[in-house]
Amino acid sequence: MAWTWFHRLASPPHIYRIAGRLTPWLGWPAAVLIGGGLIGGLVLAPPDYQQGDGFRIIYVHAPSAWMSLMVYTTMAVAAAIGLIWRMKVAHAVAASCAPIGASFTFAALVTGSLWGAPMWGTYWQWDPRLTSELILLFLYLGYMGLRSAFDDVQRADRVSAVLAVVGVVNVPIIHYSVVWWNSLHQAPSVMRLGAPTMPPSMLVPLLMMLLGFTLFFGALLLVRLRGEVLSRERSASWIREALHP
Amino acid sequence: MRDSGTMGTALRPAFAAGGMGGSAVPALAAARLVLARDLKLAFRKRSQLVQPLAFFAIVTTLFPLGVSPELPVLRPMAAGVVWAAALLSSLLALELLFRDDAQDGTLEQYALSGRSLTWLLAAKTAAHWLLTGVPLALMAPLAGLALGAPGAAVPGIVASVAVGTVALSLIGSIGAALTLGIRRSGALLSLLTLPLDIPVLIFGARATELAIGGQAYGVPVQLLAALAVLGLTLAPLAAAAAVRINLE
Amino acid sequence: MKAFLDMGGYAAYVWPSYALTLTVMVLNIVGARRLLKRSRKDALRRLMIGGTES
Repeated sequence: MAWTWFHRLASPPHIYRIAGRLTPWLGWPAAVLIGGGLIGGLVLAPPDYQQGDGFRIIYVHAPSAWMSLMVYTTMAVAAAIGLIWRMKVAHAVAASCAPIGASFTFAALVTGSLWGAPMWGTYWQWDPRLTSELILLFLYLGYMGLRSAFDDVQRADRVSAVLAVVGVVNVPIIHYSVVWWNSLHQAPSVMRLGAPTMPPSMLVPLLMMLLGFTLFFGALLLVRLRGEVLSRERSASWIREALHP
Repeated sequence: MRDSGTMGTALRPAFAAGGMGGSAVPALAAARLVLARDLKLAFRKRSQLVQPLAFFAIVTTLFPLGVSPELPVLRPMAAGVVWAAALLSSLLALELLFRDDAQDGTLEQYALSGRSLTWLLAAKTAAHWLLTGVPLALMAPLAGLALGAPGAAVPGIVASVAVGTVALSLIGSIGAALTLGIRRSGALLSLLTLPLDIPVLIFGARATELAIGGQAYGVPVQLLAALAVLGLTLAPLAAAAAVRINLE
Repeated sequence: MKAFLDMGGYAAYVWPSYALTLTVMVLNIVGARRLLKRSRKDALRRLMIGGTES
């Protein structure tokens, strides 16, 4: 019984249809959560006792950083599934993830840099978290570069899948080594807030933003996935029906 | 220009005898043959072996020229410079790993031979390390001395670069396998490999730095060794998967 | 309102951060929809031209 469900998920026409129907169910809640989080974070939360209103960058930086890692993991898991079970749909998921993840990694880098700038006095510091994010951006760019080097989509899918799996094994290793490196030199790291624990008025908007961004990713993924699935399909039968409702 | 009979002489009888899985020549022995072959072939073109080393020397020289000739200024950076140069040189040397075998069909023979491709690629990577990593490990102390390191640091530098380049060769083999069919893959290969090399750089440079400072460098070298062991178990597998996909 | 926009003196850091993140989100939406539109167009064109090529 479980296998039927799995096999239906692997079927491109099925995925194309479901993804289309599911998108608003993720998109609208995402908008509500993000809107609420913005109000809570920008207006309702009190200023931090050390960083004043500057800390509010956390409401866009932390979700972006979360996205960068979560999307990479999703990409790697989908890639592994695609490799092991030879599922085109899984590869399409991985392909869809990459530009989303890369763009949010970039956002995390810039917002993180802007967050630290007033405290550090410079626009960049080799902060362990920022340095890890930078390396993660390189991993994304490498993945996307490798994909685009192949004309044949199937080969691109499978080769980049190997890279994604290798990369995900490395991410914790890279992160640990960067933290270790940074601790040797005690470079300043400022992505902490003054208050020992976050009061609910600060925490709740953050959680809303985290969840909202996650649902937003889901909705984006579904839209891109439909496009990727279509571009991998050669046989005409289901496409004719799906595109001429 | 490679003579087409290179596969034939030593290896063909051994490989042909096994057939599908049933091994007249078990995986380890086949791996040893591949290792010996790669070493033999590389020594026929010794000039190609020297190039990564010359590159290493040139890159090292860029730093004093770009920064300052004063040793007190260079000594704090020496470890980092040596390692950055070693990373770049090992990248350059990755060309040697699969290119020729992919072009003349030997790699395909390996994949079809019924032997474990993983073991064979591990053997090729071992040959690569012997041909590039070991010479780099022997040259690195010269670079270190040129950048102000004391003579007592030499054993530490050799040890850290020797262990670190094992991991670099292994990690590099993955990138080389992924970009097998791509023409002019140099920049892409670097983009893929260098982020994965960063932990090796961090631990290696730290070990070298401690050696230069006369302190105990055991801990970072052990971390390097751990990375090398991890690489040894995973990299040939990943490389074999990538090679198979690219040969399809 | 002025105090809100001023962000306790951090305005130059806070507002660009929000603007950038919003831009990234909007670009993602636009990009995703464009990809889908382009894929549909290509699929329809293949239909017209080809018939079934598996």
